[in-house]
Amino acid sequence: MSFNVIKAGIFTTLQDRGRFSFTHLGVTNSGVMDEYATLAAHKLLDNNLNDNILEITFSNVELQANETTTICITGAKCEFYINDEQKTTWKTYKIKKDDIVKIGKIIEGQRVYLAVKNGFEVPKEFGSNSTTIKESLGGISGIQIKNNDMLPYKKNDVKIINRWHQEHLPTYTKELTLRVLLSYQEDSFSSYEKEKFFSSSYTVTPDFNRMACKLKGEPIISSLDGIISEAITFGSIQIPKDGQPIILLKERQTIGGYPKIGSVLSIDCFKLSQMKIGSTIRFEEIDITTAQKKLKDFYSTFN
Amino acid sequence: MKIKLASVDSVIIYFSDTISKKTSLEVKSAYKLLKSLDDKNLIEIVPSYTSILITYDIFTYNYKEIQIFLQKLLENLKVEDENALEVINVDVYYGDEVGLDLQRVALKANISVDEVIKIHSSKIYDVFAIGFLPGFAYMASVDEKIVTSRLESPRKKIPKGSVAIADNQTAIYPQNSPGGWNILGKTTFELFDKTLESLSPITIESRIKFNQISKEEFLKQGGVLEF
Repeated sequence: MSFNVIKAGIFTTLQDRGRFSFTHLGVTNSGVMDEYATLAAHKLLDNNLNDNILEITFSNVELQANETTTICITGAKCEFYINDEQKTTWKTYKIKKDDIVKIGKIIEGQRVYLAVKNGFEVPKEFGSNSTTIKESLGGISGIQIKNNDMLPYKKNDVKIINRWHQEHLPTYTKELTLRVLLSYQEDSFSSYEKEKFFSSSYTVTPDFNRMACKLKGEPIISSLDGIISEAITFGSIQIPKDGQPIILLKERQTIGGYPKIGSVLSIDCFKLSQMKIGSTIRFEEIDITTAQKKLKDFYSTFN
Repeated sequence: MKIKLASVDSVIIYFSDTISKKTSLEVKSAYKLLKSLDDKNLIEIVPSYTSILITYDIFTYNYKEIQIFLQKLLENLKVEDENALEVINVDVYYGDEVGLDLQRVALKANISVDEVIKIHSSKIYDVFAIGFLPGFAYMASVDEKIVTSRLESPRKKIPKGSVAIADNQTAIYPQNSPGGWNILGKTTFELFDKTLESLSPITIESRIKFNQISKEEFLKQGGVLEF
């Protein structure tokens, strides 16, 4: 039982929360860019939070169901149809045989998520379904979803009617403030440079993908030219020689030799993943105690 | 040893500010100890030249607690003898068809190509870090006689299995990739093998010895000469 992919869109990948414990071999974590949208979809379907999901980055996806199940679409605001009838996102829908699910234009945000009850039945590779094309790992044979792919799922008749609370629906604006923990090589940035970093506004450049988001704005200078290569966590902010911050995301390289001023609170990176090129980014400092509390609160919402 | 904040759920342990064999052995010993705990709350343990990054479950440890835990654990770290580490033999065909930079390295060092090969294949190298590509192990130290800096403009494609040097480091390309290292030869040794449960036969604890093999032997092992 499966969805037949009539139109795969330009960049649709199968993801889950990521591939862990192979980073020491240079294998990146990968995984969904927006965990908020992902976990919300799984929660609405009463799925396991580690189930897989489709991450849709460009419009024009069309799937045909060949068995009963329930689906949920979250993330970016988009045109969404079932058999040409417009539907709303962040809400569950029962699907029957031959139904056609269509994702049209993406209106606000960048990434749409499509979850199916109990996830797609695709074998995991090294503990995960997350697709990392440069490693040929995950997804269906290590690449993005293609036209005529089959996305298998188990038939499910359980009645699920759920929608995400209106007041918790995210809004995707053109401005975002990211909370930053000063860390790593922060000592190599003078208080003047740090002040500049926290008081300037930056623009999201077209160099923005699953690996990283490169910003443009007031250059920040480190007293270090480079560092001995070391492991890079999700959200790390690298400052290369040109002083333009690079925020490292889910498919980042595992080690790197640029100085880092700190790291963006992970849950703010999920918001960043929905920002369009040209959006404005600002930074504000957060302390580790508050940051850990925010992170715990975030995940507790879904448990 | 210093434990520093990396991100909301990660800390990084620095063993030294400089790359050395001594520091590398500390990193390897600490890495081995951390792995041996088999603690699910330590989600990622990523060693590099002078550091180890640890991503932990913040529902189990807060920042203060993980620092205390690691400090205590590593306080009396017993540094292992390098001879206790496994040596892996890697067969290499050092031929002009595959070793595109053999001549360049020889010319720069003012020695013969045969001497370059002999020098490169006579040492046991330590793995200092793994990254850049899955299974790409940074090994050192290459004998100073053949130390050669990276190409000024990187090649668009370095074939999988190429054995190369850059400065005092040597490595094997685990897959086709752009790169600026000087290519000396080629191997059929798989660094990123999806059929292995461990995904790679090499870890930071491995030591590598390159063995020169003939063209016939290389071809017999399934080697490909073409670029």
